[in-house]
Amino acid sequence: MIIDVHGHWGPWFFSTDVGDAAVNLRVMDDCGIDLQLVSAVEAVVYDPLTGNPALLPVLREHPRLRGLLVVDPRELDVAAAQLAQLLPTGLFSGAKIHTQYARSPGGSAAMADALRLLAEHDLPALVHTWGDEIVGLADVVARVDGARVVAAHLGGPDWRLTPSAAARTDRIWFEPCWSTPAPGRIRWVLDRVGPERLMFGSDATLIHPAVTLGAIRAAELSAAEEELVMWRNAAEVFGLDTGGSAADAVEQRGQ
Amino acid sequence: MILDGDLLVGRDLATGDRLTGPALAASLGPLGIGGGLVTSLRALLFDAPSGNDEARAAAAAHGWHTAFGVDLRDPLTALAEVERAARLGVRAVRLAPDRQGVPATAPGLRAVARAVAAAGLVLLVEGDVRVVGPALAGLGVRAVFVDAHFYHLGDFVLLARDEPGFHASTRLLGDVDGWELLAADAGAERLVFGSRPGWFEAAAVVDRLAASGLTPPERELVTGGNLRRLLEAA
Repeated sequence: MIIDVHGHWGPWFFSTDVGDAAVNLRVMDDCGIDLQLVSAVEAVVYDPLTGNPALLPVLREHPRLRGLLVVDPRELDVAAAQLAQLLPTGLFSGAKIHTQYARSPGGSAAMADALRLLAEHDLPALVHTWGDEIVGLADVVARVDGARVVAAHLGGPDWRLTPSAAARTDRIWFEPCWSTPAPGRIRWVLDRVGPERLMFGSDATLIHPAVTLGAIRAAELSAAEEELVMWRNAAEVFGLDTGGSAADAVEQRGQ
Repeated sequence: MILDGDLLVGRDLATGDRLTGPALAASLGPLGIGGGLVTSLRALLFDAPSGNDEARAAAAAHGWHTAFGVDLRDPLTALAEVERAARLGVRAVRLAPDRQGVPATAPGLRAVARAVAAAGLVLLVEGDVRVVGPALAGLGVRAVFVDAHFYHLGDFVLLARDEPGFHASTRLLGDVDGWELLAADAGAERLVFGSRPGWFEAAAVVDRLAASGLTPPERELVTGGNLRRLLEAA
């Protein structure tokens, strides 16, 4: 069982042809991924107003894809309206905040406001982190009652700050995808934050899941670590059904 | 076994990490890597002649090929090292302008590249392919860009259309279809396996290879055939 908490759907502005959801599913099959949480690329890199609704028919058609509703902390009125409109569909399992595209650093007041809004909906958020903002983000999470955040990328090149972030609050988890992974990084982090705080994410369809799966393979997870990292932590944080729907997903994958 | 075009030994001042030849050799087997092209960081960061001797010794000890490192902060010694490489039968030279704080516009970069091409050697080139690629265009070099990132794949393809000697390393082409797109557009002959084990999570590249949509003949080219062709022609 593998749950990927960091996926995207839709075309990218790079020289890559991955805009069709069939690519998500093909690569998931190739890599043994059962469920993938996806945000719309358009909502991340351009406009949540149009990008989030565009994801709806994809989620309806492909139950192995679950939605991450993109929130721009600078437009919380848009986010509030979309949360009210789209969460009742039952197709979204969390939110996605990109600190760089939305020019809202992890430790900013805007981030705190966004997480406060999401906490009102009891919605966990996958938040892009790059550099030392991972610690600032953890401080914000600690201050916002009910906020639950998965810090994507482990802060990229500042991944050694992950234990400092983890120490700030037990309501922050970590996700390791990175296109330029440093050797030994995942084992180093696991040994310091514990397997209950790490969950698999790929950044597909931007990055091939094999990249992060290879890095996890290099970390030589125990069976107990693998269960937590590859699906159980994600299922608990995002409230994913690992009974019926997961079994259905496995069955679909086998077809 | 895979041939890796991006092996480094020594100490990286930026990270403080160090890797000896024996430690690198011990890490390759589990990755399915049988050898490759090794450069000394000592040559790239401190002293090219003694560093290149270190790389030659490591290569001899483990059955690898040597790529001489040159320091573009001292282009005169760099040119002398290119001559020495040719004299010694070393088949490749590695450029690392970013590590050395040297802009791609530095005259030494093109002078060294020209000398490498004249000697019939292969270039390994670090840095942003959009910056260093154009700086090496029009010189007739045969080069492997070891930091080619999938973010810049379109630009590499455009460069490769004009430069038959330009190749990309696999290390940072970790997107969903980069290997396949490059193979389709420029040919699998332009893709050279590189994973920089010990300095990069090489298993990620090995697993990307396993997940690739390359045909078996294309895979053979990428994992060894292309690098052997480049070195044999040198």
